[in-house]
Amino acid sequence: MRDYARFDPRGVFPALITPFQRKTEEVDEEAFRRLIRHVLPHVDGLVTSGTTGEFPYLSRAEKRRLVEIAREEAGGKPVIAGAGASSTREAVALARDAQEAGAAALLVVTPFFLHPSEKGLYQHFYELAQAVDLPIILYNIPQVMDQVLPRTVIEDLADLPNVVALKDSSGDLPYTMEVLEYCGDRLDVLIGHDEIVVPALAGGCAGMILASAQVYPQVWQKVLRLVREGRLEEARAEQRQVQKLSRIFCRYGGGVAVKQALALLGLDMGPPRRPLKAVGGALIHETRAEIRLELEKLGLLPAEEEEWAYPSGPLEERFGLLGLAPEAIATHGLWVGSGTAGEGLHRVQLDLIAGPKDGPLGEAYAWQLTYPQHGREALTTILEPGLTVRPATLLLPTLEQKDLRQANMIYGPTQSALARAIVEALEEGTISPLAMEEACMIVLATVHPRALDRHALYQSVYQAARAAIAQAFRR
Amino acid sequence: MGYKPDWFRGIYPALVTPFDRRDRFDEAAYRELIRFLLPHVDGVLAAGTTGEFSYLDREERKRVIEVTVDEVAGHVPVLAGTGAPSTRETLELTAFARDVGATAALVVAPYYLKPSFNEVYDHYRALDALDFPLVLYNIPQCAGTHYRWWTAEGMLLDLENVIGIKDSSGDVPFIESLVEKVYGQVALFVGCDEIVTAALAAGCDGAILASANLVPDVWQRIYHAVQRGDLETARYFQGRLQKLIRIIVNQGSTQAVKEGLEMMGLRVGHSRHPIMPGGAFRREDREELRLQLELPEVGKILPRPVVYDLGGREVHTQVPAIHQTPRRISGWAMKVGEGFAGPPFQEIAHVDLLIGLRDGPVGRAIERALQEHGPQRGCVLLEERPRTLLVPTVTIRTERQRHLFYERAAAGVRMALQASIEDGFLPQALLDDLALIANAFVHPAASIGKRVELNNYKAMRQAIRKAIEGRPTYEELVSECAAARHPFRYAP
Repeated sequence: MRDYARFDPRGVFPALITPFQRKTEEVDEEAFRRLIRHVLPHVDGLVTSGTTGEFPYLSRAEKRRLVEIAREEAGGKPVIAGAGASSTREAVALARDAQEAGAAALLVVTPFFLHPSEKGLYQHFYELAQAVDLPIILYNIPQVMDQVLPRTVIEDLADLPNVVALKDSSGDLPYTMEVLEYCGDRLDVLIGHDEIVVPALAGGCAGMILASAQVYPQVWQKVLRLVREGRLEEARAEQRQVQKLSRIFCRYGGGVAVKQALALLGLDMGPPRRPLKAVGGALIHETRAEIRLELEKLGLLPAEEEEWAYPSGPLEERFGLLGLAPEAIATHGLWVGSGTAGEGLHRVQLDLIAGPKDGPLGEAYAWQLTYPQHGREALTTILEPGLTVRPATLLLPTLEQKDLRQANMIYGPTQSALARAIVEALEEGTISPLAMEEACMIVLATVHPRALDRHALYQSVYQAARAAIAQAFRR
Repeated sequence: MGYKPDWFRGIYPALVTPFDRRDRFDEAAYRELIRFLLPHVDGVLAAGTTGEFSYLDREERKRVIEVTVDEVAGHVPVLAGTGAPSTRETLELTAFARDVGATAALVVAPYYLKPSFNEVYDHYRALDALDFPLVLYNIPQCAGTHYRWWTAEGMLLDLENVIGIKDSSGDVPFIESLVEKVYGQVALFVGCDEIVTAALAAGCDGAILASANLVPDVWQRIYHAVQRGDLETARYFQGRLQKLIRIIVNQGSTQAVKEGLEMMGLRVGHSRHPIMPGGAFRREDREELRLQLELPEVGKILPRPVVYDLGGREVHTQVPAIHQTPRRISGWAMKVGEGFAGPPFQEIAHVDLLIGLRDGPVGRAIERALQEHGPQRGCVLLEERPRTLLVPTVTIRTERQRHLFYERAAAGVRMALQASIEDGFLPQALLDDLALIANAFVHPAASIGKRVELNNYKAMRQAIRKAIEGRPTYEELVSECAAARHPFRYAP
């Protein structure tokens, strides 16, 4: 029997995506090699055909080929081969393939679709452990398998010489702690849930297999080192800066989101296999735009700088794009107000104009709704869908929104903060009941293109809107 | 061992508990509701889940039970909801119900702390000693515990005073297990509106329903149809009600039923907080509930005369009016309405609507738009009467978006216009004078055409009514401002 202790799972292992070619959906071997070369310096080994690697969409031959390629590129670092299957028969076949292809260990997920009993679960891993001469990492991921690998089963499996670890992707820390309590002396637990790496390591996990370890492995290496050295405060800070991205990878798109992140970093890994969509399915456009900004924040992508400015000059001259010249504003006695609030990325300027619906402002209001201005779409101000504020108010961004995330800043935090300020003014009597019925308003909003913190933005817009309304309705 | 009384069958409304504007039990409104329902029901349930029993203090619950017994005056049986987390409190309430003359007590599984099955059994055994008919009540979605059939069987058959069980789980296999074990020995009542026909066909003796506050007569037809073996008729009427009851069952039952009753002209107020308007009972579902109550087979909201005051000219129309519909509507220079319908997320519809006169700001904007940018900027003249411009909120880029917007969303908007002409909100006499701009949003990742069409139909129909009726009202805006939840306000 081999010395299974030679394989050391205590490190950072990326659960590699599987690149596919566009149109044909064939495995893109060159892209896979590029990906490995990109991550290899920062990782302790590689994982092929995991959940992130879309393993249920891969054929047996493809899975084997991925192990071979990973072996060729790994420079001696261990390759962990995903060998999970619904049936024991297939799992054993995959495991033998992986062994022949040179894998250092196997990652074997709980059998899925049909749900075997605890006896069946034990037998599955037991047969597998008998069939190959490789270290085995058990793999618990109930969010896709719909079944938890019971601690009691792990307890017994841990007695098998080649069951060396559990990868726990459940995110269920009480479960993780229970496994460590009963089996921690016999196997290592690797955290597989990117959102809770620090608490899991602090609780006793030995290492990690993560989707995000191919996007920011250096962060995880640092976290592992810091926790080992007992420097938890610093480890927490590292975890916090990748928290949102980790959440996106875990919950809003999985491997699809990882592929988008890699593409933004210049590593085109192609689309996922159908029925998954590259974007517009589990991963929505807004989230993709969010990934970009988070990568910028981490310094993995250069920030896009552009020329822009907050509107300045006399207030009456800022409504030209609505077709309202200063003379018309004066002649028709339209009310204007402006407000500015916030700092840095969250500094906001609102220029507001109000007037009767049956006058030039009503004309401008109706006109704005007759065509979409690409990237500067006018929106009716709502507290939430179904709760349109009154007086009816259109919100227009002054800067072109380049992507759905930027647009989201306008139609999310900006719109809702403006709505709250308007309704509060109505309640306080700043805006009269008569104006509520007979007036309308248009608000031009200038929001920093890289605004990121929705809460800070909401607060700025609220302050700016209070000021603009107070000025316009001060009579 | 339990028994099955002859009187326990048919349709029972789970009565709402009306509150006045100061949030106190509105006894007069409650009596009026009972009088409204009595001709169409086989019994009533006071202070059940729909009656917000968990929001009533002990004295209020007693008063609600007492008033029910008094107002029903022996015409039909009265079930009193007396369940509480502790055995002690349940005993007190059940004894009270017995003493004031209720017919039986409906006792929910003890909730919040999760007693084990033998603790639950002993809870009911203690109540059994009161020598008063008991109905077990399984509602796991609220109580957090699901009776298993073996527990239910034990309680149903061993305890002297248990006369039946109400099951609101919606779990048909569970009902079938009960039929297997206790059919004919105790009464089986279904409490999940969505599966009534199936449950009655399976062998249930009746139904205790939230929606029987609104449509007891339709439920009677279904009940009687099943009793005489006419499943075809039962299915037909269940089908007519299905959307209405799905809204009630899935989206905040109490508030939905109460708003439905308000729309029908019965003043029952709102649910107690934290249940609130536009919460679990979503605003778009409220519009849908209204449409369902207008259906000819349901007939709970009827057309009433409304005057459109155009300043110098009056147009008389008939619309299915609710309490919020003004009898006289002016301000036709420009009316603003908004409609929202979903899910699914990618196929949501959001319509920003302007309604005005052709010689006002809205009409002039349409003419100018047709002259100055026309189709190349995306807007299209959808209808001549009323003159309606359809505009995409976001620029259309792909063939698929083009199809979804100009064919599917457009079809939905057109359907809504047609329906609003038929229901009277857009009166024939005004079709040559009105101008509408419908700015509609179709998500770039939308794919299910049918949903895009239906959601745009719903959103447009809402928007038309809300614009004309001047909704949301000042009160709605002010009372919901602080708690409003904008879906895009937060980071992923």
